[in-house]
Amino acid sequence: MSQSQHPLPNRIKLIWGISAIGSLLVLLVVTGLFWLAQTYWDWAAWLTVTMLVVAIGEPIIETALIPYRYRFTRYMISDTAVEMQAGFIFKKRVAIPIARVQNVTLNAGPLLQWRKLSKVTVATASTTHTIEGLELTTAEQLRDQIMQLAREARHDQN
Amino acid sequence: MTKTKRTHPLGLLDHLAKSVKNWWPLLIIILAQSQSWWGKLLIPAAILIFVIWPLISWWSISYRVTPTALEFHSGILVRHHEHIPYARIQTVQRKQWFYLAPFHLEEVSVETASHEDGKPEVRLAAVTPDVAALIEHYRQAANTVPTDSSTANSAEPVIAPAVQATYALTTRPRWQFVLTSTGFIPILLVALGIYGKLPHNLIERLGSDLAHLSGLFLIIGGLAIAVAAWLFTVVMLLIRYFHFRATRIGDQIQVAKGLFQRNTITVPLQRIQAVRFKQNVFRQWIGIQTAQLLLASRAAAEDNNDDLVLLPAVTLPQSYTALRPFVDWTPATSPDLSALSVTNGRRWLLVRNALLIAVVPVAIATWFWPTWNALFDLVLVIAFGQGLFAANNTGGSLVGHKLLVLRTGHWWTRETYLVPLAKIQSVRLRQSIWMKRTHLMHLTVNVRHGNRNQAIALRYLTANQAESIYDWYRTNAI
Repeated sequence: MSQSQHPLPNRIKLIWGISAIGSLLVLLVVTGLFWLAQTYWDWAAWLTVTMLVVAIGEPIIETALIPYRYRFTRYMISDTAVEMQAGFIFKKRVAIPIARVQNVTLNAGPLLQWRKLSKVTVATASTTHTIEGLELTTAEQLRDQIMQLAREARHDQN
Repeated sequence: MTKTKRTHPLGLLDHLAKSVKNWWPLLIIILAQSQSWWGKLLIPAAILIFVIWPLISWWSISYRVTPTALEFHSGILVRHHEHIPYARIQTVQRKQWFYLAPFHLEEVSVETASHEDGKPEVRLAAVTPDVAALIEHYRQAANTVPTDSSTANSAEPVIAPAVQATYALTTRPRWQFVLTSTGFIPILLVALGIYGKLPHNLIERLGSDLAHLSGLFLIIGGLAIAVAAWLFTVVMLLIRYFHFRATRIGDQIQVAKGLFQRNTITVPLQRIQAVRFKQNVFRQWIGIQTAQLLLASRAAAEDNNDDLVLLPAVTLPQSYTALRPFVDWTPATSPDLSALSVTNGRRWLLVRNALLIAVVPVAIATWFWPTWNALFDLVLVIAFGQGLFAANNTGGSLVGHKLLVLRTGHWWTRETYLVPLAKIQSVRLRQSIWMKRTHLMHLTVNVRHGNRNQAIALRYLTANQAESIYDWYRTNAI
C-alpha cells in the first residue's frame, strides 16, 4: 500500500522548456499583430508595449519556475489508489481510489511522443485529474491495472 | 410488451408545443404580415414546421420494453437507436399534465448516468401508465438479481414489495416551507438587471420624478416589488409541491408532487449519491430544514439545484428520525459534527477572506458613486457576517466507517451533507505555505451531482483533522 511518491520523469523538464519557447513565439506573434494594429489603425502604443512585456516576461517566469514545478509535482500509484501532489505555495494533494475510476486516457502530443512520455488523465464519475507526463510503460501499466479492476466483477457503483 | 410501439397520438401535442416554443417568432411574423405577399410565402414554411415536422417526429419515435433492455428509436434524418439495460437506469420520471389525465396517459423519461448533458436518454411523450410500471418491474428484477436472466424473463409481477415509509406534506410544514423560500431573490435580481438595462433618459426622468418623492415612497416601492416577487414564488411553490408525497417501496424511493403537472420520480436507493439537509436563513429562524437526495441524473432539475426534495420541511430534532426510514445508511440521531471544525482562533481567516472579496467592488463603487457610500458599507457588514457564519457552521465527522457527514455555511445557507464512502469520487487537500506555518488545511470532498461534480469544501480545518479524513478515504475506499 504505502509506496513512495515518485517525481515525474526527468525529461518532462525539457518539454516544459520547449513549451515555454512555444508560448514565447505565440505571444510574439500576438505582439506583432498589436504592432500592425498600431501602425495601420492607430491603436494606442502602450497596448503594444504592454503586450511585448508580457510576451517576454511570461516565458521567462515559466522557464524560471520549471525546477520548482518539477520538484513539487509528485504522483503515487498503489494497488488501490492514485495520488497526485502539486505546488509549493499552494500545495494540493488528491486521492482517487482505483475503484472509482471510470476511465483512463493516455494523451501525447508530438513533443511527449518524441520523448516517449504520455499525459495521463484519470476520470471518475464526477472529476478528472491529470498527471502531466508519465513514462509510456508506467502509463500503460496504470491503464491496464484499472482495466483489470474493472473486469473483476465490479458492480456498478453509480 | 415486446412489440415495438409508438406513443399515443396525443403525444403529438408535445411535439407541436416544442415546434411552437422554438419557432414562435415565425407565427408572429405571419400574423403581422398576413396582408403582404411575402407573409403569405411563409405559410408553407409554417405548415412544414408546425404540422408536418411534429407529425414526422412523432412518427419517428418508437420504443420497446423487452425483458433485458429498454429500446428507444428516434430521429428523422439521422436515426438513433438506444438500448438501455435496466441495471443502468438512474431515474424513471413520470409527468402527467392535467390534459393527459382524463386519457390515462403520462410522459415517461428515463435517465442513465452518462454525461449527455441536459437531456434524458428516453422521453416518451404520451404513454399509458403500464409502460412505466413494466420498466419499474424489470428494473427491480435487474437490480435484485443482477445476472440471473431466467427470473427477469417472467413478465408477471413478483411479490410486490411493501411500502416501508411514507411522508406527506401536512398543512403547517407546507406553509412554513413555501413562505420561507428564498426563490424570490433571483427574481428581484433579474428585476434589478432589467432596471439597469433601461434607456438612460428614462432613468434620468424617473430620477427627477423620484427626487420629488420622499425617501419613504422609494422604500415602500422597493418593498412592494419584493413582496410581489415573494408572493409569486409562494404561488409557484404551492403549485409545484401540491399533494407532495414521498414513499419508500422496497429499495426504491418515489416522490410525487405537482398540481397542473403531476411529477413522479422513482430512484433506487443504491443510486443516491448523497443526502443533503439544506437550511436557508429564514428556515434557520423557524428551525426547519429541507432534506434532498443528490442524484447522478437531471430528473429533478426543476427542483432546487437538481436535487430531489425528499422532505421539504422537517424540524431540526425530527430530521434524522424522519429521514432514516427512507435511507438506511443515515444515522438515527443528529451526529456530533465537532470533529472537523474551524478552531476559535482561526475564525477570523474566513471573515478576512469574505471581506477581501467584498472590499474591491465596494471601493470601486464608492469611488464612482460617493453618495451611496452608506449602502456599500452595508455590503462589508454583510460580508463580515457571512465570514463568521461560514466559520461557525463548518463542521463534520465520520459516522461509523462508511459515512462522512460534512456541514458548510455558504450565502447564509447551512448545508449538511451525508456522503457514503462508496459515493465519494475523490478527496483533495489544499494548503498554502502560510497555512503550513499555522497547521491549517482545506478539505474538498468530490461527489457526483446531476451531470456535474459537487465539491464540498471545508476551509481552514486543522491539518490533523483534514489529513485524518484523507487517510480514512485513501485506506478504506477500495
